[in-house]
Amino acid sequence: MDIKDKIIALSEAYGAAGDEIPAAELALEMLREYCPNAEIVNGNVVGKFGTHSAEKPSLVLDAHIDQVGMIVTSITSSGFIKVGNLGGIDRRLLPAQQVVIHGKKDIKGVICSIPPHLSNGDGKVLEIADIAIDTGYSKSDLEKIVSLGDSITFDVKCRKLLGNRITGGALDDRCGVAAILHTLELLENRETAYNVTVIFSAQEELGERGAKIGAFSLAPDIAIAVDVSFAYAQGEDEKKCGYLGKGAMVGISPCLSREISNGLINAAKSANLPYQLEVMNGLTSTNADRYSSSREGAKACTLSIPLRNMHTPTEVIDVADVVNTAEILAEFIGRKDV
Amino acid sequence: MIKLLKELCLINGTSGDETLVRNAIIEKIKDFCEYRVDNLGNLICFCKGKKTAGKKLMIAAHMDEVGFIVTYINEDGTLCFNEVGGIDTSVVLGRQVKVGNDGISGVVGSTAIHNLSKEQRETPPKYGDMYIDIGASSKEEAEKYVSLGDLICFDSEFVELGGNCIKSKAIDDRAGCTAMIQLIREGVEYDTYFVFNVQEEVGLRGSMVSAFSVAPDFAIVLEATTASDIDGVCGAKKVCSLGNGPVVGFMDRSTVYDKELYKMAFEIAENLEIPCQTKTMIAGGNDSGAIHISRGGVRTIAVSLPCRYIHSPSCTANTEDFENMLILTRELAKRIQEL
Repeated sequence: MDIKDKIIALSEAYGAAGDEIPAAELALEMLREYCPNAEIVNGNVVGKFGTHSAEKPSLVLDAHIDQVGMIVTSITSSGFIKVGNLGGIDRRLLPAQQVVIHGKKDIKGVICSIPPHLSNGDGKVLEIADIAIDTGYSKSDLEKIVSLGDSITFDVKCRKLLGNRITGGALDDRCGVAAILHTLELLENRETAYNVTVIFSAQEELGERGAKIGAFSLAPDIAIAVDVSFAYAQGEDEKKCGYLGKGAMVGISPCLSREISNGLINAAKSANLPYQLEVMNGLTSTNADRYSSSREGAKACTLSIPLRNMHTPTEVIDVADVVNTAEILAEFIGRKDV
Repeated sequence: MIKLLKELCLINGTSGDETLVRNAIIEKIKDFCEYRVDNLGNLICFCKGKKTAGKKLMIAAHMDEVGFIVTYINEDGTLCFNEVGGIDTSVVLGRQVKVGNDGISGVVGSTAIHNLSKEQRETPPKYGDMYIDIGASSKEEAEKYVSLGDLICFDSEFVELGGNCIKSKAIDDRAGCTAMIQLIREGVEYDTYFVFNVQEEVGLRGSMVSAFSVAPDFAIVLEATTASDIDGVCGAKKVCSLGNGPVVGFMDRSTVYDKELYKMAFEIAENLEIPCQTKTMIAGGNDSGAIHISRGGVRTIAVSLPCRYIHSPSCTANTEDFENMLILTRELAKRIQEL
């Protein structure tokens, strides 16, 4: 499976925050190719890469396995599903979206959309409490399949766009998962400067909770959060974005380790790999924040894949950036003196 | 019949270029009637019946669907676009689309939610704030695949939901087209014209000219109409409901329907013991608006499939309503010609 197909397979697997099992199991299967001992621990997919030795510092590569979604909070007497959000959903684009409800079996539904003749032209975006999902089923038939607390995700198939770009619904952060898998591929049969452990962590979208427990359990010296960040597009502030296709974005922030940021930059430079900088002025809102302040602290950094339309069913990335991310990581982790 | 509906719904036919839909329909009906394509692209079919009635009946549906058109290509390779037909921007943002005759995949993007102000998050986007991303990294690259004026369609699956419901783009009005194909293929009692119109969604343009050419005495328009029997809507504001049968309205924004035909429709439904409903709001409009005032006037009635989330990629309708719409139309056509 080439990397593009791997990203697509991961992105099309379901894994709303708090209910990541299908996506986590697929990622586990893929990870076991490089880390045969990998397993799912309290929702996180964890695998130790290669042979670890006492003299090397430990390094964690983290990507989150969950995606934004919704959760069933009630079923109305007419059979409509009422929901809460799992993570930051753009409510402006919910009407008439096709979704999958992960009940006893997966069933499809459509988010109710108020037709123009009833909206009074007031042009307000619906509150999450006003959102309802139409499955066609009556309440009694629906209750045989769907229970309160079931998760819901957008029903979206990836599409290949021009060049090396693709669109999908959970590229945030399955492309990060794919980047880490590709890093391991590049590191196979190479000495590493660190004892590398991989974690695909749960519940990032709900406040980096999987990474919090992962950071405690793994207690690394160094942690790199491989996530996505904003790619410039129409309507975005160019000064605050990276560009699609111009390489991974190395994070620089008071909350990150400048040593690791520089290490990643130097790795890219020494291998003639493109990279971009992402300067933040405090917390990064990624799993890196959890590693840096866990236990006695860790040297944390972010390496982000530029992405358009974050948290929508139409996220867009350039696959070249995913490959580039892996190349920078492999260059950083691989031992140069052997 | 649902298989045929699915096949037609998945064909792209944004108003202004209905060629692919028309070609597919011609394939289905060419052995069962005489047909011609007029200057605007309307497909006009004549079905010889066992008998010829004294009055001429035309049954009509439209082939086009709402969509978009490329208006500009940005330096970064993204496309500016506008609606073709009325589409609420809230069902446009965050969707996959197909651009142009080659069906280039694209998505409708806008500023990420994280980078919007609180006020912006609560305001639906405008067409000018959204763009279509086909993956091109420059204007030059995009221009190899897309030209200004290319039409755009929703890229949306046909899905069977629960409770006999189906979900697709373009049920409005491939449902009417499908019903007409079925009627043509099964043959008619009396000579009947079947007209597959273009450009309904941009102002009933096709039906204006086809109604003139055919010059019928009576018309039955087969349509899909807004149902909003959804969560949080009660009473008259539902307009009509899925599962309550085909919709025969007394009046909408474009037409006051023929009173005798209106009564006849409900009488037939009662006799055949099939459900039939009217609309509880004066809303919407269809080709009847152009047809009933064509030439010296045409006695017109519309039979519609109730459809939730119309003009979105997720039109949702009930297959039993669709079956009943066909039964009602078949009998109504016969009764009209016996008037």
